[in-house]
Amino acid sequence: MSNGNYTWLLAVLTPFFFVFYDFMKLMHLGANKKDYYIACLISYMALAFVISLVNTGIHLVIDPIYSAETVINMMDVCRWTENGIFVAALQQMFFLFLVMIFLHVLLSMQAYWYGWLTDVILIAIICIFTPITPLRAVLSVFFSLIMINGNALLHIAICVLLSAALSLFGLMVLKRKTL
Amino acid sequence: MIELKQVTKRYGDATVLKNLNLSIDEAGIYCLLGRNGAGKTTLLKSIAGYQNITSGTIKVDGKEVSTALLDTGVSYIENFAKHFNLPVRKLLQIASKVNPDYDYDFALEMMERFELDGKKKFNHLSLGMKTMISTIICLSSNKSVILLDEPVLGFDALMRVEFYDMLSESFKRHPRIIIVSTHIIEEIAKAIQKLIIIDKGTLCFFDTLQAVEEKAYSVSGLKNDVEIAVRNLNVIGEDCVGVLMTAYIFDKPLAESSLEIHPLSLQDFFIQLVGHKGGVRK
Repeated sequence: MSNGNYTWLLAVLTPFFFVFYDFMKLMHLGANKKDYYIACLISYMALAFVISLVNTGIHLVIDPIYSAETVINMMDVCRWTENGIFVAALQQMFFLFLVMIFLHVLLSMQAYWYGWLTDVILIAIICIFTPITPLRAVLSVFFSLIMINGNALLHIAICVLLSAALSLFGLMVLKRKTL
Repeated sequence: MIELKQVTKRYGDATVLKNLNLSIDEAGIYCLLGRNGAGKTTLLKSIAGYQNITSGTIKVDGKEVSTALLDTGVSYIENFAKHFNLPVRKLLQIASKVNPDYDYDFALEMMERFELDGKKKFNHLSLGMKTMISTIICLSSNKSVILLDEPVLGFDALMRVEFYDMLSESFKRHPRIIIVSTHIIEEIAKAIQKLIIIDKGTLCFFDTLQAVEEKAYSVSGLKNDVEIAVRNLNVIGEDCVGVLMTAYIFDKPLAESSLEIHPLSLQDFFIQLVGHKGGVRK
């Protein structure tokens, strides 16, 4: 496994801090919800850019050092490197941005019944879809579109569209958020 | 300007605010009084748009407030508010970045007046100091409505005196609506213009301190004499010991009488207004 894969952990962990730790404290400093949300989106985009840059750097510089072994980087697994390293970095950036927004919205909902319902639905989808072949195919198509996608343009377009939709949904959740 | 119309807030079966109507249209320092569980925090949080009400409307500067309003223009600070574990000076700096009209000079001035170490991290401060930081941040924000929920909790006597001075000074610099909820009634009297008293979710009193000074008094004497004297007056409480009786009045002054008449302190007025024994109003 490439060391660069671990950089993705930062993308997974950051929304936890933004939602459970920073929101309340920023509100106590006098920030408003609008500024908080815009700041979150900008931070996610900046972080996605930095993580993508670091992982691409590791993939180019550190991974080839282990010439005796096959080093697996997520950029290869997701077939993004088929489009050249620059486009692969872009694909990675938009995918990580989508992951962070998805987690942000999901975590924001946890204080409410619809958050728990979403958790149950997501777990049910994984549990039910995985063992049943036709349904597994549906899951496979979905992940082929948002993650393991060699078609850069299609992949980036889907990530951007889903991110936009999730951002709007996240705004609705934020509007209901109490302190 | 704050306008509350028929505001009701329920948590399950419990009704915390009941058809509350209140209109504050003048800048000033207002004191919000009420017993524990009277609905003070719920009221303040609802005005700040931190939680939704069950029915009714709340408007601040003409805008209807709810959690859906992303920028309410209200600054609210609760007791024991948590902040980032950063040095005090850094916290004040960040606050100045997120509040467009922040008075940074005032914040620094207050930091020095309260001898707060700018390099000390928030978690290393005492409870009183933490509360003071929150209050300074809230007052320096210069938003049109400032809501302070029990800001003197954890303050020693000297800090409380300094706090009341800070409140007055902040208001002089930027006149706006400042609502302070507290239990230490007599001390804050010097700093405030109007008094809001709520009990069991309803508004009991909203008037100036002058009104309390002029209209609130006690009448003591023989039970029969007192009953006759206060017959047509607004009696807010009574105490009886044998044949002696003390009636607490909020009304026009009593004409010359042989009975003992004493003005009510703010605390006594509050106690008589919201006093209950065994869940039943006296």
